[in-house]
Amino acid sequence: MTENAIEMENLTKKFGDFTAVDKLSLNIKKGKIFGFLGPNGAGKSTTIRMLCTLSNPTSGSAKIAGYDLIKDPSKVRENIGLVAEKMIMYDTLTAAENLRFFGKLYRIPKQKLEDRIDEMLELVNMQEWKHTQIDKFSTGMKQRINVIRALLPEPEIIFMDEPTLGLDPQTTYSIRDITREINRSGVTVILTTHAMIEAEVLSDRVAIIDHGKIAALDTPQNLKKLIAESDVSIFGAEITNLTPKLIEKINSLDVVDAVAQQDDHNLKISANGTEALNQIIDIIRHEDGNIASITKSNETTLEDVFLAVTGKEIRDQATGKAASTPHMDGEAPKSRIR
Amino acid sequence: MDIIQILQDSYHVMIKDMIEFKRNRFEVAGLIAFPLIFLLLFGFIFPSGNTHENVQMGLVNLDQGAGSNEFITQMETMNKQLATTKNSSYMSFNNYSSVDAAKTAINKGTINGAFVIPPGFSSNVTSGQPGNVIVIVDNSNPTVAGTIEQVSSSTIGGLNGISANTNVLKLGSEANQQINPQAIIAPYVQNIETTIPGESNYFNFLAPGLIVMIGMMYIMNGVPETISKEKEKGTFDGMLSAPIHHISIILGKTMGLTIRGVVQCLFVLIFAVLLFGVTVQGNLLLVFFMIILGIFSFIGIGIMAVSLAEDQATAAMIMDFIMFPMIFLAGVIFPVQQMPWFMQDISKVIPLTYAGDAMRKIMLLNANVADVSTDIIILLAFGVITMLIALPLFRRGMKD
Repeated sequence: MTENAIEMENLTKKFGDFTAVDKLSLNIKKGKIFGFLGPNGAGKSTTIRMLCTLSNPTSGSAKIAGYDLIKDPSKVRENIGLVAEKMIMYDTLTAAENLRFFGKLYRIPKQKLEDRIDEMLELVNMQEWKHTQIDKFSTGMKQRINVIRALLPEPEIIFMDEPTLGLDPQTTYSIRDITREINRSGVTVILTTHAMIEAEVLSDRVAIIDHGKIAALDTPQNLKKLIAESDVSIFGAEITNLTPKLIEKINSLDVVDAVAQQDDHNLKISANGTEALNQIIDIIRHEDGNIASITKSNETTLEDVFLAVTGKEIRDQATGKAASTPHMDGEAPKSRIR
Repeated sequence: MDIIQILQDSYHVMIKDMIEFKRNRFEVAGLIAFPLIFLLLFGFIFPSGNTHENVQMGLVNLDQGAGSNEFITQMETMNKQLATTKNSSYMSFNNYSSVDAAKTAINKGTINGAFVIPPGFSSNVTSGQPGNVIVIVDNSNPTVAGTIEQVSSSTIGGLNGISANTNVLKLGSEANQQINPQAIIAPYVQNIETTIPGESNYFNFLAPGLIVMIGMMYIMNGVPETISKEKEKGTFDGMLSAPIHHISIILGKTMGLTIRGVVQCLFVLIFAVLLFGVTVQGNLLLVFFMIILGIFSFIGIGIMAVSLAEDQATAAMIMDFIMFPMIFLAGVIFPVQQMPWFMQDISKVIPLTYAGDAMRKIMLLNANVADVSTDIIILLAFGVITMLIALPLFRRGMKD
C-alpha cells in the first residue's frame, strides 16, 4: 500500500465553459487531516464530489485508498465516508433506522452493525436518542448523527464538506473534537471549510483553492510564516466615515493587493512594499476619510494568508480585486445545483 | 456485479422507503382516498343508462282541435310509461301560447325544447294528410338537444304505433279479417342480449380500466417524486457513495412503489365491487396478474422522465405531458370507438389501452390467458423496452 491516502493528477472538472476544478495535482498522506480552504465557488465541493465518485472528472485521474477513481469506483466507495454539505439522513426515520439502513448498504454483518451503532452513538453521546425520529433533533444533533453515519463502515478516509456550517459554537467545538478523535484512530480526514480557525486548528496541511487551482499549500504554520517573511503586510484600518468609494480608491493603489471590509468601520488591507502604509494613509486623508486607528498585527493569522493569496476575504462581503470576477459572487452554474 | 447482491441491496432500499411511507400519514391516506374520489367522480359524471328525468318541454298548441288534443293526451300517457319511477316523469310539459313565447323560454333556459302543433293539425289528420309536429331544440347545448331529439322521435314513433295499431284494427274489422296489427306495422323485432349477465352499467365499463389507470398514475408520479425528493434533500449522495450498484437504488424504489401501487389498485377493485355494484366474472388471480403487469409496463417511462429531468418540477411536467393523453385516449373513460380515426391510432400506441382492454375482458367477460395473450405480449414488450432504454439513462443521469 502506498503512503498516500489520496493522489490526484491533473484532476479537472468543467461545467460547460466554466472550469470548476483546474488540473488539480495533489497528494494527501495517510492519517492526516487535510483542509481545503477557499471562497464560494472555488471548487472545493466539486473536488470532494469527484473524489467520492459522485461526479465524473472531465479529465485527469485520482487514486483513493490505492484504488483508481475511474476504474474501480466501487472499491473506492468501500473505503470512504462522506459528510456532505446537505445532511445525508431521512427525517422520518429514527437515528438507529438511518444508521442501520446505511450500514446495510456497506454489508456490515447484523450483530456487528448493532454493536457499531451503539458504539458510535456513545462516541457522540446520543445513546438515549437512538429510537427518536431525526426530525425531532436540533441541527447540532442531526450533524452528530450525520458524522457517525459516515464513520459506521470504518472507512479509511472520511470527507467532510463544511461540517460545521450553520452550527452553534458548542456543537462546532464538539464536531471538531470528534474529528480529532476520528483522526487519532487512524482515519484520514479531508475537510473543506469556510472557517479559517477550523482549518488552522484542525488541519495538518491546508490547500487554499481559488478558481479551481491551488493558490497555496503547506502547514498552517508555514503558510503564516510565508506572509511574515514576505514584504506583504496586512493592515487593519478603522475609518469612522467609511464609504464604498473610499474602499475603491484604496483598492486602486498599486501597492494594495486586496481590501476586505469587515464591518461598518473596519477594513483589512493586504499590501506590499515599505511605502505601502504611507500611501494608504495619504489616499484615505485625501478622500476625507477619518482614521480612528491603523493596526499592523505582528501575528499573522491564516485569514491574512488567505487574503494575501486569493485577494479576497473568505466571508461573502469580499471586495478584493479578484472578487470582481463575475462567477465568484454570482450563483453557481445551473448544472452544479444538485 | 452479483445479482443476489443487487437484489439484497434493493431490498434494503425498499424497506427504507416503506418505513418512510408508513410514517407519512398523508401518503397513507392518499393511497385509499385517491381511488375512492376517482370512482365517485367518474361514476357520477357519466350516468349509467338513459336515466333522463324531468326534461322541461314547452307545448304550443296552435291547433286546439280534437286531433291535437288526442295527440297530447296520448303523449302524456306515454310520458308516464317512460318514467323510471312512480313520482317522476320523463318530460314535464309547460304550455305556451305562441312559438315566440316558447323560444324565449328556451333562451332563458326555463325549458330545454318545445313541441309545436301547428294550425290545421286536426283537419290534416282527419283528411288523411300527415300531421306535422314541430320540435324546437336548444342547439346551444348539443347533449340536451340530442336527448330531446331522441325523446321526441321515440314519442312520435310510439304515437305512430298506437294510431297505426288502431287504424289497422279498424281496416281489419271493415274487411272482416282477423289481423295481428303488430305483424303488419313492425314485422321485425330486435332482442338485445348481453355477454355480461345483469344490466350493463357505466361502472362495469369504467372500473377495470380505472384500476390499471390509477396504478399507472401512482407509478408515473411516484418514480419521479421518490427520486427527486432524495436528490434535492441530498440523501441520494449517501446511497450513491455507498458500495452498491446504482441499479439497486432504482430497483428497490420501484419495488416499493409497485407494492403500494398494487395495494391502491386493489382498493379500486374493492370499492368498485362493494360500493358500485361491479361484478367480477373472471379469475381474481388473473386480475391480480394484470394489475402487476400493467404497473410494470409503466415503470420504464417513469424512470426515463426522472433521468432526463433536472428537478422534480420538470419531471412532473414531463409526466403530465405523457399521462394526460393516456388517460383520455386509452379508452378507459371514453370508449375508443367514439374517437376520430387519428385518435384511435394514437390509442393503439398507448400501453394503458391494452392494460385496460385486458382488464375489462378478464373482469367482465371471464376471458382466459389465451384470450388476452396479445395484450399481455404488448404490455410485456413495452415494459421491457422502456426499461432497457431507461436504466442506462438513469445510470448516466446520476453523476453530474
